[in-house]
Amino acid sequence: MVTFAIARQTVEDMLRRKILLILLIVGVCLIALGPSLGFLTPRESSAVLRSLGLAVILIAGLLITVISGIQVIPTEIERRTIYTVLSKPVQRYQFVLGKFLGGIMTVFVMIVAMGIVFLGVLFWHEKVFAPDMLKGVLMTFCQMMLLGALTIFFSTFAPPVVNFFMSFGLFIVGNLSTVTESLTENRNPVTAIMATIVHYTIPNFGNFNIQNKLIHPEIVIKNEMVFLTQNVVYAVLYSAVLLVLAILVFDKREV
Amino acid sequence: MAVALSIQGLTKKYLDVWNKEEITAVDDLTLEVEEGEIFGFLGRNGAGKTTTIKMLLGLIFPTSGTASVLGKPMGDTEAKSQLSYLPENPYFYENMSGWDVLDFYGRLFRMGEPTRTQRIEKCLNDVRLDKRAWRRPLRGYSKGMLQRIGIAQSLLNDPKLLFLDEPTSGLDPIAHAELRDIIRDVGKQGKTVFLSSHQLPDVELVCNRAAIIHRGKLLTSGPLSELTSGDKVEVLAESVPDDAVEQIRALCPAVERSNGRVRVTAVDPGQVNDIVDIVRGRKGSVTAVLPHKRTLEEVFVDTVLRAGGD
Repeated sequence: MVTFAIARQTVEDMLRRKILLILLIVGVCLIALGPSLGFLTPRESSAVLRSLGLAVILIAGLLITVISGIQVIPTEIERRTIYTVLSKPVQRYQFVLGKFLGGIMTVFVMIVAMGIVFLGVLFWHEKVFAPDMLKGVLMTFCQMMLLGALTIFFSTFAPPVVNFFMSFGLFIVGNLSTVTESLTENRNPVTAIMATIVHYTIPNFGNFNIQNKLIHPEIVIKNEMVFLTQNVVYAVLYSAVLLVLAILVFDKREV
Repeated sequence: MAVALSIQGLTKKYLDVWNKEEITAVDDLTLEVEEGEIFGFLGRNGAGKTTTIKMLLGLIFPTSGTASVLGKPMGDTEAKSQLSYLPENPYFYENMSGWDVLDFYGRLFRMGEPTRTQRIEKCLNDVRLDKRAWRRPLRGYSKGMLQRIGIAQSLLNDPKLLFLDEPTSGLDPIAHAELRDIIRDVGKQGKTVFLSSHQLPDVELVCNRAAIIHRGKLLTSGPLSELTSGDKVEVLAESVPDDAVEQIRALCPAVERSNGRVRVTAVDPGQVNDIVDIVRGRKGSVTAVLPHKRTLEEVFVDTVLRAGGD
């Protein structure tokens, strides 16, 4: 009950933040404006619409996740609202989990809102329902959940600006997993060792990028269900590990 | 009487920004507060009052020493369900209404319905917050109204022990007096109040016992009547002739005259008999012999200055 009370309060607080609402509105507008690119051929137009929709959801989701994730705990400390919360019968792990759940529920609400607009626009434009796109939206959400856990972990010890750059940096490196994987077989042993460490410790954000495969039907994902399930399980487990680390750090932190 | 709060050798040291020099915020503090007491915790800015409270609540961790709060270790969740805390200049979620904030805190206390709604109503009424403000966002509240929400949240769980950190600071005189009355009412309900304050007249009015700390060290503690009782005695007399007054002044210089009355403050109680003899020998009348009571402010200033405060 305590964790969910904190999560609920966090969602209510986040949904009142203008910056997040602006990002949502911009995202929705960009998706809705997709069909106006009418100079393209029907086939090109369809691919662009799908590509644009998924890209907008990814970028808006990324900004919403990072902005909410880096602020959610430091703001409580800075505003001193944490005093009245942690002086109640609240365990520190409940506070961290509540904040994470609240943040990720906010991201979920926003991604779902953009996803609904995206599917609606596709339906209006092509007169067919495109359930495949839901897989892309789901993978984006999983990616954001993992990124959210990473920002929450950093926020237990790093100030928001540092957290912003660390989270963004790791997100970019994590998206280059194919590059780091290839570097693990480099002839230079130092490069190979470094690449191995980076590849296996940094979250593999690149695995969630299935937009290309969804937009271009000729690219087939082998065992698609297994692949998607693996990605979901990976996101959940990796997030759980990051949250355990966040709790361990926050437990020792003075507020 | 049972002990609500027991502090043994509590010490908190911080390292400066270069991690070289140690700053001692609280230094070997030992203190006990009994159940049902309103205990004044006094000290200048930076004396270590808030640091002590934050350690007792488990918000920060002591360098050494121990403490038990309601018989449990510092920061214990079970103890925290029976205590409450009003921080200095409390900040709340400004987008939420007073009611919603209390509802959130009620959930943190695991209060179900309808208890939660009943308690919120009672607390908001107890702190005399205008009903029209209950559902308004806190960002539109005045400082006095926010302080009332702060007190309301600290009463929500019907606590046994309240930590109030400067609850009346920055309030206008009316709000100040009202909040002081609320604290007094809380004390009358048998709750233990640990009141950290600069407002010495408030402490004098509402507290049973007090402690003074300076630079983290406990300087003195005890019942207010003991702290403010002086070692001087006052003799009040009437119809004392001028030459008798001069005789008394030769014994003891602290003599005041007004409207035919004489007030003598004797440092040495042994002088009292001599003063009384002089008055009665000159057909004057002694109207009272009283122990001279100091104000808490005098006690505080003397104690801190003697400890090297500037």
